[in-house]
Amino acid sequence: MDSSELYHVKQQFVLGAYKSLIDLSLPDPNSPDYTPTLVYQARSHIALNDPKAALQLAPTGSENVALKAVVALAKFVAAEEAADDKEALLEELRDLSLEIDGDDVEGTERDKATVRVLAGTAFARAGEVEEALETLGADTEDLEAVFVIVQIYLSINRPDLAKKEYERSKRWAEDDLLLQLIESIIGLSTGKDENPSLSSPHVLTARGVTRILRNEFSEAKSDLDESLEQHKNDPDALAASAVASGLVSTKKSEADVDELWARLASQYPTHPSVVDVAKKSDLFDEAMAKYTVPAIASAA
Amino acid sequence: MSVMLTKFESKSNRVKGLAFHPTQPLLAAGLHNGSIQLWNYRMGVLVDRFEEHEGPVRAVQFHPSRALLVSGADDYKIKVWDIRPQNRRCLFTLHGHLDYLRTTQFHHEMPWIISCSDDQTIRIWNSTSRNCIAVLTGHSHYVMSAFFHPKDDLVVSASMDQTVRVWDISGLRKGSPNTGPGNFETFDTFSTVKYVLEGHDRGVNYATFHPTLPLILSAADDRTIKIWRMSETKAWEVDSCRGHFNNVSAALFHPKHELIVSCGEDKTVRVWDLAKRTAIQTFRREHDRFWDLAAHPNLNLFAAGHDSGLIVFKLERERPAFAVHQNTLYYIRDKYVRAYDFETASDIGLLSVRKFGSPYVPPRTLSFNPAENAVVITIASDNGLYELTTLPKPSSAQGGELKDSSVDGKRGSGTSAIFVARNRFAVLNKTTQIIEVRDTSNSVVKTIKPPVQTNEIFYGGTACLILSSTASVVLYDIQQQKTLAEVNSPPVKYVMWNADSSVVALMSKHTITIANRNFSQHSLIHETIRIKSGAWDDAGVFIYSTLNHVKYCLSQGDHGVICTLDNPVYLTRVKGKTIYCLDRSARPRTITFDPTEYRFKLALLKNNYEEMLYIIKTSTLLGQSIIAYLQQKGFPEIALHFVQDTNTRFELAIECGNLDVAVETAESIDRPDCWERLAQQALKQGNHKIVEKAYQRTKNFDKLSFLYLATGSTDKLSKMQKIADARGNPMSRFHNALYAGDVMSRISVLRDVGMYPLAYLTAKNHGLEELAEEILEAAGLSAADVDDVPSFGQSTRKPPPAINPTTDLIWPSLSAGENFFDRALASGSLENGIEPTYVNGDAAAAGSLAALDDWAKDEEVHEDIDPEEGGWDLDTGGEFSASHDNAVEEVEEEEELGAGAAPGISEVEHWVRNSPLAADHVAAGSFDTAMQLLNRQLGVVNFEPLKPIFLSIYRSSHTYLSPVASLPPLQLHIRRNPSESAPSKVLPVAARSLQSIRSEFADGARDVAGNRLVEAQATFRSVLKALLLVVLTSDSEAKQWRDMVTSAREYLLGVSIELERRRVAQEEPDNTKRNLELAAYFTHCQLQPVHMQIALRSAITVFRKANNSAHAARFAKRLLELKPDAKIVATARQTVAAGERNPRNAVEISYDEFTSFEICAASFTAIYKGSPSIQCPYTNASFLPQFKGSLDPLSRVD
Repeated sequence: MDSSELYHVKQQFVLGAYKSLIDLSLPDPNSPDYTPTLVYQARSHIALNDPKAALQLAPTGSENVALKAVVALAKFVAAEEAADDKEALLEELRDLSLEIDGDDVEGTERDKATVRVLAGTAFARAGEVEEALETLGADTEDLEAVFVIVQIYLSINRPDLAKKEYERSKRWAEDDLLLQLIESIIGLSTGKDENPSLSSPHVLTARGVTRILRNEFSEAKSDLDESLEQHKNDPDALAASAVASGLVSTKKSEADVDELWARLASQYPTHPSVVDVAKKSDLFDEAMAKYTVPAIASAA
Repeated sequence: MSVMLTKFESKSNRVKGLAFHPTQPLLAAGLHNGSIQLWNYRMGVLVDRFEEHEGPVRAVQFHPSRALLVSGADDYKIKVWDIRPQNRRCLFTLHGHLDYLRTTQFHHEMPWIISCSDDQTIRIWNSTSRNCIAVLTGHSHYVMSAFFHPKDDLVVSASMDQTVRVWDISGLRKGSPNTGPGNFETFDTFSTVKYVLEGHDRGVNYATFHPTLPLILSAADDRTIKIWRMSETKAWEVDSCRGHFNNVSAALFHPKHELIVSCGEDKTVRVWDLAKRTAIQTFRREHDRFWDLAAHPNLNLFAAGHDSGLIVFKLERERPAFAVHQNTLYYIRDKYVRAYDFETASDIGLLSVRKFGSPYVPPRTLSFNPAENAVVITIASDNGLYELTTLPKPSSAQGGELKDSSVDGKRGSGTSAIFVARNRFAVLNKTTQIIEVRDTSNSVVKTIKPPVQTNEIFYGGTACLILSSTASVVLYDIQQQKTLAEVNSPPVKYVMWNADSSVVALMSKHTITIANRNFSQHSLIHETIRIKSGAWDDAGVFIYSTLNHVKYCLSQGDHGVICTLDNPVYLTRVKGKTIYCLDRSARPRTITFDPTEYRFKLALLKNNYEEMLYIIKTSTLLGQSIIAYLQQKGFPEIALHFVQDTNTRFELAIECGNLDVAVETAESIDRPDCWERLAQQALKQGNHKIVEKAYQRTKNFDKLSFLYLATGSTDKLSKMQKIADARGNPMSRFHNALYAGDVMSRISVLRDVGMYPLAYLTAKNHGLEELAEEILEAAGLSAADVDDVPSFGQSTRKPPPAINPTTDLIWPSLSAGENFFDRALASGSLENGIEPTYVNGDAAAAGSLAALDDWAKDEEVHEDIDPEEGGWDLDTGGEFSASHDNAVEEVEEEEELGAGAAPGISEVEHWVRNSPLAADHVAAGSFDTAMQLLNRQLGVVNFEPLKPIFLSIYRSSHTYLSPVASLPPLQLHIRRNPSESAPSKVLPVAARSLQSIRSEFADGARDVAGNRLVEAQATFRSVLKALLLVVLTSDSEAKQWRDMVTSAREYLLGVSIELERRRVAQEEPDNTKRNLELAAYFTHCQLQPVHMQIALRSAITVFRKANNSAHAARFAKRLLELKPDAKIVATARQTVAAGERNPRNAVEISYDEFTSFEICAASFTAIYKGSPSIQCPYTNASFLPQFKGSLDPLSRVD
């Protein structure tokens, strides 16, 4: 059983309240909570796309596998941005995830589970879906791993498998916030929706997205606006807000759409929606080229 | 994806070493518990176990030509075993290694064994002298593998020291003078390190030579497989294969194809392209790490050992795709379509299909269409593809390159595709569960939702399909779209129709269902061994092949073996005594066999006696089985004709009541029990002469006498009396006397045996007083002594007289049993029996082809109607959603969770499938199909102005969320029916609604009123564009849509005319005529009254200025009809009055308001009723014919 502090940290992380999590002070280095809290903080930094801060946070030379893994993930994310060689870092994570099967590693079971989740995350980021799933394990009993697995399944359009994984985890997992979250994420993709009702910018964004999916565009817009107020440039909130504005379809909202898109496109040129729309634009030109346009009919 | 098919699997302790026997279906497995298993992988049985090693056996290998096995284990010992069952034993043990053995191998020609060990050495042993003849030192860590080169005097070894080494051992062959043990120094002169291959950055587990090329493959703990090339002088790394995410245990070259197979501790077996070094396929196990791999030297077979057993698998389906038409077999070998003539055995290539699907996957099925000389081929790669191609004339293929199917092939995705008519083929898409019927130009003419979860489709006779489902097969009528019949069966894999399409064989893995044309009758055959293929014999017998037999099966379900097979074959046709088939490498072969047995059985079934007789006359080969069969089936009389053994003949003869044969055989057997049974049978049939004979033979006097009595044969009875006399048997004598009615004789018997009282009375009763006295006397009595004996009077008893001369007759019997055969066999009239004629088996008989054509014609009629329907036809839309109501719930396929999850169908694909609306296709990002729809439905060609709308709709239909920290955000799709969760009904959100467009239209109208015509023109144009991509959900919305398109068109036209008029007024002030015309036309646009007033007032002003008072007055009158403001009314009245005063027009203009007209939207001139015009397919705006093919200046998109 986790201490209440650690429980809180974990909840914060799951809810995506990364900022407030980072602001927490670390427990005593000898406390059993120390390493997990540190790992969550480092992960929060990475989640906020600030791997350098994560690297500063993590002590160098630690033999703890979870810390090693989080450092590797931070380096990996940093390398992705710098377009450096990521293969070596993936190898490191590969080694770590093999190592934890052995006996002589430093770290608790929780640490080992964290290694799998972090390695799985990196593999998924690198597009190594198969390896990610293998690493996370088909028979895992770690909800965080299930969460990652479910998202991977959803990203490859297998909501059926995601549901199966969720059903499976319900058999062994206790009712947990994470479990509810998993259920609602599956719901978002398949049409059976949940209504998360907690307030952190992340959750607000999630609720906004949920409402978009429920065709409640004005309500979605207000959620997303609030989320953007709290966390100014959250890419998902920006993207969702643009979508919601577009669907509200009033004169004013149309101007908003363009503004929001411009913001998203300039700040997050690699956000999948930006990349995707750019791709579609090219696709349009390609498809259009198949039709020859005759001259405009005119009397002249 | 190519296929990995598991052929055999066993559970055991961890398998560390594996080896295939080069010729027999044997596999040796070295286990972690010290045991060596010998499996027959074809039969799936454990043949033997050798258990003398202590500790894990990592090394096993068969001798290339002798029945020997060499093994090495953790007990440091190498053992050589004789594996013949009769003298299975360990022949000898080689000692010398100082640590665990890793691999062992026999040399291909020399009596050498190579071994390697954790003691860092490789040793070569002479298996004759059983001495170590070389020690190869140099590795600085465990040596994990060491193998001889298949031809040259080389050895390749892999070690934990991260190197692969190639050793030259040619010195060894020259013969070593020193073969004694213990003198290691000398060995090194015979073997030298040739190359040290460095590149792996962890220990190397395995290294092997290519069977023919100068290549080496190595597998290492750094998770890579490396390919090395060597020349005479050097060796270098070529490339690496990356993908395993744990230690690679072993990697092999495919013995025949350019492939690499590897396995590792990441629980996978992987296949790689040797040329491109890319991963082709992964085979995964849930919990077991793989430790060893073996390849069969000749067959497409591999074995892999893992934590809890071993698997034997092959890499690709070997069943070649083929189809038979008349005398030609069309089949695919090495990705070429070939034609084989059954009669001339000519075999030519026709077409290359190399570019179709994955290069590693052979096509799965081929369907041939004789009318078009075309084929439809399917392949399993890329989730299933089909290709329709015409075959070139065989003559044109002679010399030069063969045509490649990519030249004119029409492709699409689909798992199963077959021709169903001369110019129609059906394609099944398994994931969407839709069957499309397509014509030869590959366009869909009909879409079918199969009534059951369909895995494969087959030709089902004219206009029918056979649908193979998980637990049944369905006969489905394409035209009526309904199920005709359903038969329970395991999943059907192949279907074969007989020659006249009256019977069909439905083949599953272990069953064959033989059904008639409409499935109303069927029979089922079970096979324990896997069924591979089948073909119909000319005579209507189904011949099929299993893994190791060719068998036949009759329609009522009888089956039997024709011959055994060494390797599976795929039957293509059976004619006479020849089976035509394709072997595993798709080469045509023939097998000659004796069809007598099944032909005979068939004839028997059909009561075809001539055929049976012919067989009886001509064949010699009829064993016990057929007799047993005949007997069992109730045809003993027929069996009789095949029996030589007299005992059996007798039995059969008795059984079928053939007394002649029974007597004949009984005589030769001559045993009492036979005669007795014969007597019984003969008695049953009333043939007393035979009964008599049998009784005589068995000396059954009592019964014989009784028989004579029964038949009234008095002579014989008296004879019997004599015999009885001779035998001195008083009882018999008495019987006979009694039967014969011979009183004297009776008395005589009684007297002889001393029964005087009876003798006396008998005599007395028959009035033989004298004799009675005599008896009395003889008994020493007088008449007085017998006073008390009552007098019985004269007895009249005597045997009845014979009325019929039964003695000479036998009971008449029906001649049913001994009909045709006996007659035929006896008369010899069919001595030279005529062989019955057979029909040739053709894929499609002429008659059925004609029927197909008729059906196809029907289809064509439908097709002609189709193009008329299009556009925003919401009736079609309604039908569309209705058809979903009977959509089958998607059967949830049981799929294992885990790393092997294949990507599914994305939401956007569902959108595209579920909607015929361009807007929905745009939302799905399928711009291509959206454009096609717009082009087809509304004639849109200029898409440029639509780009912002396309992109904004697409953008508005998707949103993103990052649930898991640091993972890329998940794309979510916004639906307009959020409560819907069935994938077949989901639709994207409607980004633009009619409502919002209507408000935009109103803006435009306001601009008109406010005289902001340029803005208004832009707004209406934008409205027209937006209307192209709006989602309509009901008929009333469709009507509103049409109205709005029309209004927008009219306003746009009006505004454009007015703008043109202003331009003319400004730029060509002298052109009053044009000015007036345009003003007049403007009033003929359909505008709302308030806007119409503006148009009319403008016209009045212009016309009055030009002194065309008559026209002006007309406009004023029209204005008055609209009931304008009082002020305007006043001006209008003045104009009317002026017109009446002076009803003239100063300027002659082309304007006839009394004939109805359209306005050409390009030239702004009137097109009067009856004049030719063309319409814009979208807005219906009219144009002069000269503008045909130009862009609509109003919407600018058509």
